[in-house]
Amino acid sequence: MTSMVKQRWTVSGVRNRLRRMTWRGQRIDWSGYILVAPFLTLFVLFNAIALLFGLYLSCNEWEVVGRPEWVGLANFREILADDLAREAFLNTFRYVLVIAPGVTIVAFVLALFVHQQWPGHIVSRAAFFSPVVCAPTAVGLIWVWMLDTQFGLINQYLGRLGIPPVPWLTSPDWSWLGVSLMSVWWDTGFSFVLFLAALQDVPAELREAAQVDGATRWQVVWNIILPLLRPVTSMVITLQVIATLRIFSQISVMTQGGPAGSSMSAIMYLYSYGLSRYRFGYASAVAVLLLLATLLITLVNRWLVKEKV
Amino acid sequence: MKAGPVARANRWMRQRLNVTIGVIPLWLVGMFVTVAWIAPFVWTISTSLKPASQIMTADIEWLPREVTFDSYVKVFEFHPILRWLLNSVIVAGTTTTLCVLFSMMAGYAFTRLHFPGRDVFFAITLGSIMIPAQIALIPLYMAFLKLGFMNSYPSMIAPGVVSVVSVYIFRQFFMSLPGELEDAAFIDGLGRMGVFWRIAVPLARAPLVASAILAFTGNWNGYLWPLLMAFEEKMKTLAVGIAVFAPGYGGHSQLESFGPSMAAVTILSMPMLIAYLFLQRYFVEGMTSGSIKG
Repeated sequence: MTSMVKQRWTVSGVRNRLRRMTWRGQRIDWSGYILVAPFLTLFVLFNAIALLFGLYLSCNEWEVVGRPEWVGLANFREILADDLAREAFLNTFRYVLVIAPGVTIVAFVLALFVHQQWPGHIVSRAAFFSPVVCAPTAVGLIWVWMLDTQFGLINQYLGRLGIPPVPWLTSPDWSWLGVSLMSVWWDTGFSFVLFLAALQDVPAELREAAQVDGATRWQVVWNIILPLLRPVTSMVITLQVIATLRIFSQISVMTQGGPAGSSMSAIMYLYSYGLSRYRFGYASAVAVLLLLATLLITLVNRWLVKEKV
Repeated sequence: MKAGPVARANRWMRQRLNVTIGVIPLWLVGMFVTVAWIAPFVWTISTSLKPASQIMTADIEWLPREVTFDSYVKVFEFHPILRWLLNSVIVAGTTTTLCVLFSMMAGYAFTRLHFPGRDVFFAITLGSIMIPAQIALIPLYMAFLKLGFMNSYPSMIAPGVVSVVSVYIFRQFFMSLPGELEDAAFIDGLGRMGVFWRIAVPLARAPLVASAILAFTGNWNGYLWPLLMAFEEKMKTLAVGIAVFAPGYGGHSQLESFGPSMAAVTILSMPMLIAYLFLQRYFVEGMTSGSIKG
């Protein structure tokens, strides 16, 4: 008895007790906490606490100096009443509706082509993914030059077809399309490799059997490959929708949201009218609205996919 | 049986090249798209090597009439490109190193070690993927602003070190690692930490490369966070710095006829593109491995 009491309070005693402690019937690996600590500390600090604080901020007015002032939903009301903010959100949804299907369709077609393994497919595969490794500022500047109204490559070639110069980035009617073109070129490679990997998992016997039965190339794609690719297609669309909802860098480089707010996105608005003016509460409210939109779209998409399967 | 020349050509092509004559139009379209897809890069490099007077021409000139490095000289002369390059190397390098190290440790602990709270921690970590980072960005920006950490390396590095996707990559790997290897090491008298450093880490080369490429690319190319953190010219990373050539920054791309702008783009993109050409498989694996979660 006495020896146990004594053992409890010596260093080696504590160590022994710790060593013998169990959780769910197994010894506890205390080193787990040490290994997890660096990541978890930063995660809690930069993600969890920051997120909660962001939610709190959205109901406050807080500038660089002074204390936060609780204003309830005033920030949200201001956003809803602001024409430019509404335009920014509507533009963001338009980007989603243009870029996500654009990327998905182009990526799928390119993947089908490369999957045939015709001569040169290795070059094509490398080419299609290459924009993905480049910075948005680099790709943005490249496309500012490509889409230049007077001397840009695109307008020069369109001119050869007799099409008058299009003011891709300098007209309120076109700027969203200029930004979308750049985004499709930049993002497609990512979805392309996801499709390519999925195509490689389609059993070759299925296609051969269909071809023996007299199916054409298009019938094979439409009736056999597409249905089998439904999971990866839904993943590609979801990822692209979520990514496009956060569209910012290319707009910041190419148009700054202009002309006249025509290419403004939600994050671009958050940056120009919240952060740059040190209106942190207002900026957080924009972020919260975007978060809600993201969650809503994700849930609707989940539901749609489930309905179909 | 004697086959006609077309049929013979067809058979030869099917055997040798995996094509038949009927698909040549499709193949040509595909190769045309391939060329068009890399055309912007070719155009960028070509523009950067042209003399200023030959950039904005009435007709398309794919190749420079004479190769000159004037645009590069201008970029180096008027902008602290070397400093930006150094900042990019420091920020992306440090972030990647810490991110891989911490993710590896956490990924191992979440998979192999047994301790209370483990599953809860991991569930929270994974669940956070759904939430857009921008919401956490504003409080972080405020915190760094108020604490006076703007224009410093730590502020540009710290948030990038946390990568849930990297943890996920390592966790997937360690889950597939057979436990016998570690058991043998235990019997030989190694402790948990010893097993981690001497057995698990050396085996984890594939997830290490994948997560390192993911982190390095993301931080080398990163824009919004370094843009917020570094408004002093000399603290900018290259990806942020070259935005001075953007039209909205009062850039003079038009006046300088895009030469320096394309030179700066080339300087920023070449390291990544060359690395990508040599390590294609790893790039594709690394950059897409996070999307498994769907």
